[in-house]
Amino acid sequence: MIKINPQTAQQWKRFKSIKRGYYSLIVILVLLALSVFAELLINNRAILVKYDGNYYFPTYTGFIAGNHFGLDYAYETNYRELKRHFSDQSENWVLLPPVPYSPFETNFLEDSFPPYPPSIDDQHYLGTDITGRDILARLAYGFRLAITFSIILLACNYLIGIAIGCAMGFWGGAFDLLFQRLIEIWSNVPFLYVIMIVASVIIPSFWTLAFIMVIFGWMGMTWYMRTATYKEKAREYVEAAKALGASNKRMIFRHILPNTVSIIVTFVPFSIATGVTALTALDYLGFGLPPPTPSWGELLSQGTSNLQAPWIVTSVVFAMTIVLLMVTYIGEAVREAFDPKRFTFYE
Amino acid sequence: MSNRNFSTFKMGWITLCTFLWLLVGCNEQKESESAISAANDAESNSYLVEILPNYQNELLPEGLHWETNNSDPIFSSNEAKRGGTFNSWILSFPLTLRTVGPDSNGSFATYTRANNLGLVGIHPNTLDYYPVLATHWAFGDDGRTVYYRLNEDATWSDGEPVTADDFMFAVDFMRSEHIVAPWYNNHYTNVIVSVSKYDDHTISIEGATAKPPEEMLNEYGLSPIPRHFHRLDESWVQEYNWRLAPTTGAYKISVVEKGQYVEFQRNENWWGDNNRYLKNRYNVDTIRFTVIRDMNVAWEYFLRGELDSFPLVMPSFWHEKANGEDFDNGYIQKIKFYTDRPQPSYGMWMNMDDPILGNLNVRLGIAHSINVEKMLNTLLRGDYERLKMQFEGYGDYSNPNIQPREFDLLQADNYLAAAGFRDRGPDAIRVNEDGQRLALRVVYGSQEHTPRLVLLREEAKKAGIELNLQLLDSSAQFKQILEKKHQIAWMGWSTGLVPRFWQYYHSDNAHIPQTNNITNTDDPEIDSLIMQYRESKEKDERVLLAHLLQRMTHDAGAYVPTYKVPYTREAYWRWLKMPKHFGTRTTDTIFNPLGEALFWLDENLRLETMAAKQEGIHYPVVTITDTTWRVD
Repeated sequence: MIKINPQTAQQWKRFKSIKRGYYSLIVILVLLALSVFAELLINNRAILVKYDGNYYFPTYTGFIAGNHFGLDYAYETNYRELKRHFSDQSENWVLLPPVPYSPFETNFLEDSFPPYPPSIDDQHYLGTDITGRDILARLAYGFRLAITFSIILLACNYLIGIAIGCAMGFWGGAFDLLFQRLIEIWSNVPFLYVIMIVASVIIPSFWTLAFIMVIFGWMGMTWYMRTATYKEKAREYVEAAKALGASNKRMIFRHILPNTVSIIVTFVPFSIATGVTALTALDYLGFGLPPPTPSWGELLSQGTSNLQAPWIVTSVVFAMTIVLLMVTYIGEAVREAFDPKRFTFYE
Repeated sequence: MSNRNFSTFKMGWITLCTFLWLLVGCNEQKESESAISAANDAESNSYLVEILPNYQNELLPEGLHWETNNSDPIFSSNEAKRGGTFNSWILSFPLTLRTVGPDSNGSFATYTRANNLGLVGIHPNTLDYYPVLATHWAFGDDGRTVYYRLNEDATWSDGEPVTADDFMFAVDFMRSEHIVAPWYNNHYTNVIVSVSKYDDHTISIEGATAKPPEEMLNEYGLSPIPRHFHRLDESWVQEYNWRLAPTTGAYKISVVEKGQYVEFQRNENWWGDNNRYLKNRYNVDTIRFTVIRDMNVAWEYFLRGELDSFPLVMPSFWHEKANGEDFDNGYIQKIKFYTDRPQPSYGMWMNMDDPILGNLNVRLGIAHSINVEKMLNTLLRGDYERLKMQFEGYGDYSNPNIQPREFDLLQADNYLAAAGFRDRGPDAIRVNEDGQRLALRVVYGSQEHTPRLVLLREEAKKAGIELNLQLLDSSAQFKQILEKKHQIAWMGWSTGLVPRFWQYYHSDNAHIPQTNNITNTDDPEIDSLIMQYRESKEKDERVLLAHLLQRMTHDAGAYVPTYKVPYTREAYWRWLKMPKHFGTRTTDTIFNPLGEALFWLDENLRLETMAAKQEGIHYPVVTITDTTWRVD
């Protein structure tokens, strides 16, 4: 069984007592969990098909051609059509996800042109964008992508930032000086221009974009880690460990790092928010992920240039505000929970 | 011959420049004010004529066969009335009124340049040449020189006659580094090799390469530059930024209110009014271009009657905005006028050097998997039309028998299966026996086109083809294509006077970067036909060869044509009047006062209409659809 450090337990208790942050965390976690299974909730592939006594689960299996189900084409089955086709047959049926559209699918209704306003009958609960793609589907898949991107970004940035910052603070001297200058210079490279140049030369894929953003994003954490390490290193318990003959590795990993965790943790939610905003901003400007990737930035840019279809811009602005607000609430609560002032008294 | 001529005026220029330098230099030592007055003196004509180079006369070769054209039908209307003020709008104020040099290529240049006429014009219906500044023309034996006899009555808007010297000067001007216009510098050095003068009203223009006569008149033409107006030196770009140059066209700029509007006034006793083909055109007396920085705001101005016409090519305007009271009461009328002019070749261009696209069956399979019809009928509201092939709208030169490949999954399946892409993977994309997926990259250069490509991508999936979209900034896109690093390029070539094949399809231009053969077509049979086409000077033979080449390149299937917009759509207040035939075969915009400008304006009708609007009097609704020039 995992034994929880009494201090951590205290912090968790304190975090829980800040309701705004606590509930935000729950909601975000639920959304994340749902987004992992988005294919079952928002998809044009059916969850379950019963045909000729056999059951099919097309969501996670390969594509099934239309003629397999008795339709007259060889490309991927349109399950909404199949459902209509089966509507008068009792032994064959289709179970569709609550939102039966994929984020890539362009859906044109008869005698009218997209963007279509929200409609419960058409099951476009938030309407469609100018190409006829379901906005709810694009929002959901866009959320999953942005959050994943943000978490990967965070992990990489922190790994590099903490390692270098810690080393700077631990060894100090020439090493510290050299890296300080290097980081200062590196920080001055205009990140947006680099993205623009790269985006004009190659297709910026998920990983290249993450790579570029890590290259220019790891510096922030180094300063905090450097100071924290400097501070901890001068403390008696580190001196004591050193006197007892502890190796550098042991001093860093057993003594210094665990004592800087509070700094790292308080930054995490804000970094996630930054990651989401950065990706959205890049997509909005057209330097982000290539179309037709579902993305909030792309929706935002469509929405602002098509204000006659207000459901596009309101959906994405609302979604973004809510998510960023919740992340910020979590961040506040974490900071509060880890605030040493509550437990420490200086003489 | 011409070289000697050149060195003479080079010397002249050096003298002029030295003189001016001395002049300015001297004055700089004194007060700045006197320097300005001295510079102003320098602008006076008498002073300049003295130090301007005298262009030497050459000896006109004998046996020239002079041609002209006074027999083509007139395309303007003799019912046209002169007068009135036409109100139009521009999105931003021009950065300069120069027609060359930095910042001169903005959209306003269309209007300023339209007032600099050329030697000959192209008849909008017959596509024959007609005389403008030249009354006659003749072709030299070398196949690359054109001789022109100038119209002795032609004058600049300031009353000075247009003479051969203005053409000689034009070449000097265009080659000068002071105008800071590398493209012109290059064009007037490497395409137009030299201009010679025989007397005040006879010149010749020598081009770099031999061409068939009808192309020569177009390529080896020139607009004169008023020699008495320009003083070329380092400060030309700044000094002439807002100066109003004399024009040869019907209008000159009369009022410039910076940031607000530009007004054109018709030239009194314009020489062109005696020209058979310029008569009864350019009928309004005053044209005012007001700056309105937003299209939707401009629309509101139009509805208030403060603008006289409005373009409606955009589907949202034609279908949604151009409705309502003013239209139902007949105050504002609408016209959709079909034209027959060369169409830009928008579509998908496949690189045949690519291992997958090298296979003819794959290319044909792709062509049958691109659902252009659905794109046109849904996303583009059926407003744009299917383009049939690369060279549409070139009159006789267009092969009428070529039909584009339709979206047909059965045919696509046959072709793709024949190419080895028989089975589909779990994601419904075809794979061949080596496990290679049928995934192709489409590079394009405009965010506006994303919806179209997204739709085509989804449709192509049905055929088992994955199209991966690569949106690049347009210059980066063009760079990738010209370096032949693309798989499929989504782009269009602009049009020319006649179809050109060498640049697009000759093997000389295949497999190497920076050429227009972006399909990497490399076929000896096509090569030999292209060379025959280039060398042939008989139109019938050229037409035949053009048809054959279009057929062969169509059969190669490396280009999927998409759409064309073969019409202009405009809304206009009922006081604007048009000829009975509205426009011509090649009309770009009916109510462009500086374009073909066949329309006229009835100021009395304007007052009547405005009064009727107040009183609630209705007129019949007018929505004209003219299909005279529609090509099916």
